[in-house]
Amino acid sequence: MILYGILWGEDVNPEEIKVCIMRIEGTNCEDETYNACKAAGCNPELVHLNQLTGHAKDRRDLEEYDALAFPGGFSAGDYVRAGAIFAARVKSSLGKEMRTFVEAEKPIIGICNGFQILVELGLLPATDGISKVPTAALFTNDSGRFECRPTYLKNQGGGKCLFTRKIPRGKVVMFPSAHAEGKLMGDNDRFLDRLEENGQIVFRYVNPDGRPSGYPWNPNGSPGNVAGICNPSGNVLGLMPHPERALDPLTAPDWTRHKKKEGDGMAIFRSMVDSLCR
Amino acid sequence: MAIDDLMSRVGSAPVWEIDIHSADDGQLMKISQEMGLSLSVDEMKMVRDYFASEGRKPTDIELQSIGQAWSEHCCYKSSKIYLKEFVFAIDHPDIISRGDAGVMLFDEDYAYALRIESHNHPSAIEPYGGAATGIGGILRDVVCMGAQPIALVDPLCFGPIDSDKDLPPGVKHPRYLMSGVVSGIRDYGNRVGVPTLSGAFYFDEKYTGNCLVNVGCLGIVKRDEVCNNFAGGPGELLILCGGRTGRDGIHGVTFASLELQESSEEESRGAVQLGDPITKEPLIHACLEVNRLGLITGMKDLGGGGLSCVIGEMALAAGCGAVVDLDKVPLKEEDLAPWEIWVSESQERMMISTTEDKVEEILEIFKTWDILATVVARTTDEKRTVVLWHGEKIFDMDLHFLTGGPVYCRPYQGFESIPEKRENIPKLPDTSTILLNMLSDPNVASKEWAIRQYDHDVRASTVLRPLVGPPYSNGPGDASVLRPLPNSIRGLAVAVGCNPWFTSEDPYKGGMSAVEEVCRNLVAVGARPHSITDCLNFGNPERPERLGEFREAIRGLGEAAAFLGLPIPSGNVSFYNESPQGAVLPTPMIMGVGIVDDIHRCISSDLKGVGNLLYVVGDTEKEMGGSLLYRIYGGAGGRVPSVDLEAFKRKTDRLLQAMKEGIVLSCHDCSDGGLAVCLAEMCIGGDMGASISLASMGKTDPITKMFSESNGRWIAEVPPDKEEKWQSIMGKDARFIGITGGPTVMIHGGGIDLPVKTLRRAWGDPIWDIMG
Repeated sequence: MILYGILWGEDVNPEEIKVCIMRIEGTNCEDETYNACKAAGCNPELVHLNQLTGHAKDRRDLEEYDALAFPGGFSAGDYVRAGAIFAARVKSSLGKEMRTFVEAEKPIIGICNGFQILVELGLLPATDGISKVPTAALFTNDSGRFECRPTYLKNQGGGKCLFTRKIPRGKVVMFPSAHAEGKLMGDNDRFLDRLEENGQIVFRYVNPDGRPSGYPWNPNGSPGNVAGICNPSGNVLGLMPHPERALDPLTAPDWTRHKKKEGDGMAIFRSMVDSLCR
Repeated sequence: MAIDDLMSRVGSAPVWEIDIHSADDGQLMKISQEMGLSLSVDEMKMVRDYFASEGRKPTDIELQSIGQAWSEHCCYKSSKIYLKEFVFAIDHPDIISRGDAGVMLFDEDYAYALRIESHNHPSAIEPYGGAATGIGGILRDVVCMGAQPIALVDPLCFGPIDSDKDLPPGVKHPRYLMSGVVSGIRDYGNRVGVPTLSGAFYFDEKYTGNCLVNVGCLGIVKRDEVCNNFAGGPGELLILCGGRTGRDGIHGVTFASLELQESSEEESRGAVQLGDPITKEPLIHACLEVNRLGLITGMKDLGGGGLSCVIGEMALAAGCGAVVDLDKVPLKEEDLAPWEIWVSESQERMMISTTEDKVEEILEIFKTWDILATVVARTTDEKRTVVLWHGEKIFDMDLHFLTGGPVYCRPYQGFESIPEKRENIPKLPDTSTILLNMLSDPNVASKEWAIRQYDHDVRASTVLRPLVGPPYSNGPGDASVLRPLPNSIRGLAVAVGCNPWFTSEDPYKGGMSAVEEVCRNLVAVGARPHSITDCLNFGNPERPERLGEFREAIRGLGEAAAFLGLPIPSGNVSFYNESPQGAVLPTPMIMGVGIVDDIHRCISSDLKGVGNLLYVVGDTEKEMGGSLLYRIYGGAGGRVPSVDLEAFKRKTDRLLQAMKEGIVLSCHDCSDGGLAVCLAEMCIGGDMGASISLASMGKTDPITKMFSESNGRWIAEVPPDKEEKWQSIMGKDARFIGITGGPTVMIHGGGIDLPVKTLRRAWGDPIWDIMG
C-alpha cells in the first residue's frame, strides 16, 4: 500500500532503487528510515553490518545498493564518542567498499547517530576530500542533557545537496531533534567559513518564525546554528534532526492546530529517489 | 549449634547439603536468615516436611530456589486471595492473553500488550541502575509475548525535592533519587529506541524513605504471532539467550519482599542488577525475529528469581518438567556457586523453548545479532526439575511443591467502622495566591525537565505527546496517543492515574478514583478506555492496617473496572514499601489504555482559538479531603471525592460522541487543584487567556468551585457555531462557564485575574529551578 500518494514521471522505476539501511546493535531508528524510503517509492532493505562483512548468513555486498542510510540510535551504546564504534567497525571491515561507494557519488544519508558516524568516518565534512581521521565532531549539547524537542530548519543549500533538491532554498521545515551530542565543531578556526564558502551548510536551526535563534530552537549550541551539512559533491548528507520522524502529518507537534498534507521530512527522501531516477 | 555444623559437602560439585531435619525452630530461622531465604519458621517447616517425604536432605541450591519461588514478589502469597476476589474475575472478549504481559485485541489483525510493574527497592538503593533495570524488565515482559515494545510509561513517587530538612540515616535525598531515576530511564529507554510517552510525578513526605519507581510498557503484535510463555511439550530444548550470568541481582526478589532498613544499602547492593541496553536492543530484534518466523514454541524472560523461576514455570505450564545442565550457562565471572547461577537476576536474558530441528536456525539468527544463545535444558514428561552440574545431580524437586508456594489469608483491619475525621478548614490567602502556589507545587508544576530528556518521538508514531500546544508553549497533556500501524488510522492512547492522598484518607474511594482518573485522561484526548493494568504499591502486609488499605483499595478499583467493563489482564503487587520512617502512601498506580477510532479526531488540552465557548462537564461537590488545597495550607479531614460510576459512564459516552462529531476543540481533565488549575493549564498550553464565571456551577462557595477535586469533570472548548449541537449531546452534564481569549485568566466570582505569562512562569519554572 502506498501511503502518501506518489506521482512519478521519470525513466528509472523507483522500485528498482535499492537502499541499504545499515545497522548494528543499538541502531534504533531503522524502521522509520525504512518506512521513509518505502513511502518515497524505492526499495529499502535493513542490513546488519555483519551481513556486509560476511560474519552472518544472508551475505550482502555494499556494491549492490544505489544508496546508503545510517539511521539514528545509540550504535554500540555510544559509550565512547557517539558513532565512533560503528565507524571504527565500518572502517576496518568495509573501508574500501565505502570509499568506492562515496566516490561513485551514490547518495549517503546519516541521521542523528548516522551523522555522528559519517563524521567519525571522515566522510563529512570532507571539505578537502575524505579524511583519514575525523576533522569535526559532534560535541555534548550545551545544556549537558539529552534534548527531545521540535526543531525548525531553514534550507541553506544552493541546490548542491541532492537530498534537498525538492526543498526550496530558504524554506523552513520542521524535523524533530532528539540527541545528547549534536554541537558541530571543527578542527580549525575557519571551519564554518569554509563550509559556507563551499556551500556545504544545508540546514540551520531557526525559530518558528524562520529567524536565527539560540536555545531551545538550537537545541545543542551548534556554532552558526548548523544542523546539517553535506560533502563538497553533495551526495553525502548528515543532519542531527530526524526527517524520518516527519513523514506522517499526524506526528507533527502542532498538527492539532496546523494541518498539513504530508510531513516535511518526505521531501528529503523524495529528493534522494528523484536524483537516482534521472 | 551454628548452622555450619548442619552443612556438609555432597559429591564433587560445589554444593552443600543442609541437615534441616535435625534443626530446631531457632536453627530453621537461622538457616533462612543466613542463607538470605526470607522464609518464615512455618514455611521452613513445610520445606522440612517435603524433604522428609523425599527421604533426604535439601541442597543449598534447592533451598535457595524455594526462597525465590515462595517470596511475596514471586508468588503473591499475601495478595492472591484478594486479587482473585476483586480483580481477576473481570472478563472481556478482547482479552487474548494473561501472560507475563496482558494482551488485548487492537483491530482485526493486531493485538497490543500491556504491563506495569515496580522497581522500588532497587531504585531506593541505587536510583540509576534500579530505574534502568526496571525498564529492562518491563520490556522483556512485553517482548516475551512476541510484541514489539512501542511505549514506556513511568509514574514515579519521591519525597519533597525542594526540602532542605535533614534526612534520616540511610535515606538518600529525593532530589538525588529523582535525578538518578530519570537519568536511568532516559539512558535505557532512549538507547533501546522505545519512546517514553507518559508518566507522572508524585511528591510527598511519605515517599522520602522509600521512593516508588513504576515502569509500564505497551507493545504491538500480530494476533497470530502472540507467543506463549511456556514450552510446547516434553522433549523440547530450552535456549538461554542474551547476557551472561553474574553475581549482580542475587536475592533481588527476597530483597523486594522486605522493608527497607538503614543498612539496606550495604547489605543489598548486590541485589540490584546491572542494566545493559545495548545487549537488550539486539536481543529484542532476535527474539521477535525467531518468534515471527515460527521457530519457537514459547518464550519467557528471566526476571525475579532468574533461572530458578523461569525454567520451572515454562515447564510446569506445559505439563512438563525439565533437566538442566547448569554448567552450560555462560558466566560473567568464574567461580559462581551453582546456587548463585541458579538464582542470579542478571539482566538482558530470555529463555526460549523449541523443538530440536529448529535449534540451528535459531542460533544462526542470534549470531547475526552478536547475541549469545545456549541450549541449557530439555523438557521432560515428569513434573520435576532436575539440575545437573557436569552430569552430577544437585537438585531434584517436584514442580507443584516448588512453584505452588503458600497462600495466606493474613489478618486485615476493616475500614467500615472508621468514623469520618473532623474537617479542619485551613486559613487561606487570597485566591490568586492560592492558584499561583498550586501551579508551583511540584505535584502540579511542569515536568518538562524530565520529559525533554526522554525520547518521546522515536519510532515516529507519536501523535499526541506529553507536552501539547504550539511548540513554544509546552502545556500538559492528559494522555499520549500513538499510531502503532502506519497504514491504519486507529490509535492507541495511554495514561496513568492515581491519587495516593485520596487513597490514604479513604482507600476504597482512592482505588475507584484511580480508575476513574485514568479513564478521564483517556477520554480527554478522544480515546475510549479499553483496558487497565495496575501496580499496587503498599506497605507491609503483615501489618493488619496496611493489608486493610490494600484490600479496600483493590475492592474499589476492581468495582470501578468491572462496572466500566475494563479488564485488568496484567498487574503487579509491591508490598513492604516501608522504611523506619513508616509506610509509603497507599499507591494503586493505574496505567490505562484507550483506543482511538480515528486519530484525526484526537483532542489536545491547549486552548485553540479566541471567542470559543468553555464548558465544565460534571458536578462540583464540596469534597476537599486529600485535596491539594488542604495539603498546601494544612487542612485535614473532609470528604474524599466519591465516584458515581453510572454518571461517569454517561458523561464519557456523551463527551466521546461530541468529539466524534468534531465539535470539541480542546479538553482537559480536572484533577489536582481542581477547576482553576485545569483552566490555567489549558490557557498556558494554548498561550491564550479566558474569562469564566462561577455562577452557573450551583450554590456552593467559590473556593469549592475553584479548588475542589471532585471526580468526573473536564473542561471543554467548543466553537460558538456548534453550541446547539454540543448542548443536545451533553444535556445537563455540561455547564457553560465562559469564553476563550484575552491576555489573562479571569474568574468572575472567584477574584482571579492573572496574566497567562504569570501563570506560565509559576507553573513552568519550579522543577527546572530545583533540578537545574
